[in-house]
Amino acid sequence: MRRSLVLAAVGASLMTSGCVQTRQYADLQFAPPQGDYKLLVLRPDVQVGSVTTGGLVEPRADWTEQARANVIAALRAQQGGRGGETLIMERRDSLAGVPPEQVAEIERLNAAVSQSIALHKYSGATLPTKRRRGLEYTLGEDAVRFGQRTGYDYALFLHAEDSFASTGRVALQVLGIAGCAIGFCAPNIGGAGQFAYASLVDLKTGEVVWFNVLQAGSQIAGIKMGDIRSPAGSAQMVDRLLGRMKAGREVRRAQAAQRRSQ
Amino acid sequence: MNAELSRRALLAGGGAAAAVLAAGPVGARIPPSSLQPLIGPGYRPTDADELGMWQQMQRVEEEVAGSNLLVKDEGLNRYLQGLIGKVGGPAARDMRIYLARIPDFNAVMFPTGFSVIFTGLLLRMRDEAQLAGVIAHESSHFLLKHQIRQWRDTKRRTDVLSFATMLGGMAGGAAGIYTGDLAQLAQLGTILTLLRYNRQLEAEADALGIKLIAGTGYDPLSMSETWGQLIGEVELSARVRRKRPDRGYSIFSTHPAPRERMIDLRQSAAELKVPGRSYDRGRERYLQAIGGIRPTLFDDQVKLNDAGATRYIVETLAKDGWNGQLRFTEGESLRLQNADALQDRAALSYAAAVAYPDAPADAWRWHGIFLMKAGRRDEGRAALQRYLALAPSAPDAPFVRQMLVS
Repeated sequence: MRRSLVLAAVGASLMTSGCVQTRQYADLQFAPPQGDYKLLVLRPDVQVGSVTTGGLVEPRADWTEQARANVIAALRAQQGGRGGETLIMERRDSLAGVPPEQVAEIERLNAAVSQSIALHKYSGATLPTKRRRGLEYTLGEDAVRFGQRTGYDYALFLHAEDSFASTGRVALQVLGIAGCAIGFCAPNIGGAGQFAYASLVDLKTGEVVWFNVLQAGSQIAGIKMGDIRSPAGSAQMVDRLLGRMKAGREVRRAQAAQRRSQ
Repeated sequence: MNAELSRRALLAGGGAAAAVLAAGPVGARIPPSSLQPLIGPGYRPTDADELGMWQQMQRVEEEVAGSNLLVKDEGLNRYLQGLIGKVGGPAARDMRIYLARIPDFNAVMFPTGFSVIFTGLLLRMRDEAQLAGVIAHESSHFLLKHQIRQWRDTKRRTDVLSFATMLGGMAGGAAGIYTGDLAQLAQLGTILTLLRYNRQLEAEADALGIKLIAGTGYDPLSMSETWGQLIGEVELSARVRRKRPDRGYSIFSTHPAPRERMIDLRQSAAELKVPGRSYDRGRERYLQAIGGIRPTLFDDQVKLNDAGATRYIVETLAKDGWNGQLRFTEGESLRLQNADALQDRAALSYAAAVAYPDAPADAWRWHGIFLMKAGRRDEGRAALQRYLALAPSAPDAPFVRQMLVS
């Protein structure tokens, strides 16, 4: 439910035809983690479905399993290249010494905050008090305590979904394009695509320091901009989502000033 | 709620007349004998669409099972699990039941065989037979594979609609006619048939559910009583608020009209009852099982600030005899309406409540306060002393003690 709200809100704001889009926000003082840090990735939430002729997304268990395994592998490879120590939790109880209820609580808290971020940063309901102030959200003391208990510096939450047009949907699209010749044109019925978001929480302060939303798809059923069911497609999605983590505005300004003075 | 709004918005488009035509008459009663469970014990899906649905539901169940809304009373949870094990038909051993603290008259079944019961339901049920009826209805959704059947039906209809719209548009395009409006009407028709299918499923679940409870020896009449209670509550709630009852059975309603269901269920009960057999109501067992949380159930209901509904519930439960808890709840609801005219009646309810041995401590407290207000100080002090004796560590106990000293 929460997830679908986030999806709807963000989907509406990023609606464009046939492209890959990301939009990230960062805390003003955010510097992407480098070097010796410990990152905990909470249970990546992956869902893959098939788009029926009528435009409904039907979840597919086999594709989802495939994609989840590939996304986890891609995350591991990507984080390995950054120098930090990363643990990817595949289940809520895969963190020794931390009861699954506590993991569930932090997940739910993050879901609620993410929903708020989606609403106020991505779907146009901007808050005047938060304008031009980067990402100003926090999971509060609970996240700090969670960090102390687990010994991790950052927590990364990730949700990814992908869908593929069924044969019927593609046939319908073909009809729609063919119709253009006789005056009834429906060249972009759409209905399949990739959607993912990630949020990075600093477990020392509890703050959500970085948030990114990725949307990749086309308005033409049958044309895809990625496929997280395959290892290459998962790596591409993880790279699009997490590969270009930008520092916060104040950090970037300071860096620019430093460069000018050199 | 949202769904209802958007449905209303659809209607506003002027499709009302067309809608009535498209919906047609509501189907006739389904005889319970015509239904058999579609699944046996240990059912596991094999089709791709159902596998996908089950996988998705795994996470949903994990969320539900870990929710802090769940009531943790172990005995009560065991009791509910036992009940679904009794009336759950062939899948009785596979189903799970969760009790959520939500003061609404509702229960839901998920496609993988787990059910969520709302505490508001437990408040309203007069005995085990009534509760068993609701649980059997929910179990029947699982036994008849309703969710996947509904999904397949939705899929089929939206598929057909998409092609029809596209082809219609092309035909119109070729002939130079704009078909946008027609396409919209067709869409409305599709939604209506979807909902009718839904009503059909509800009626099926009623029919199989009543068969299940009659088979296990519960009075099958209990299911129609439950609907009678729902109708009565909705009507009184509306009347007290001076509103028209939201009957919830317009052409867009997903469930059949409560009154129709009640009548159908009564007829089915008559069909199923074997003359000479004695049927169980299980009132004592039921009250014992919910005893631990019952004060909370009443308290949650009172705090909804729905005086009509509260009155209806209290009076319905009082058909089995008044007691201190019921009178106290009646008093609370009256007092909290904060109308001068009702305060005397509230005082009477508290006075009646304390005459029963099961009166909650708070009944003595309010009885005492109302007596003091009426100038009957000695009696008031006695009542407050009784309150302190019953609840010596109540948050307001020091304050009450101070009152008694001065």
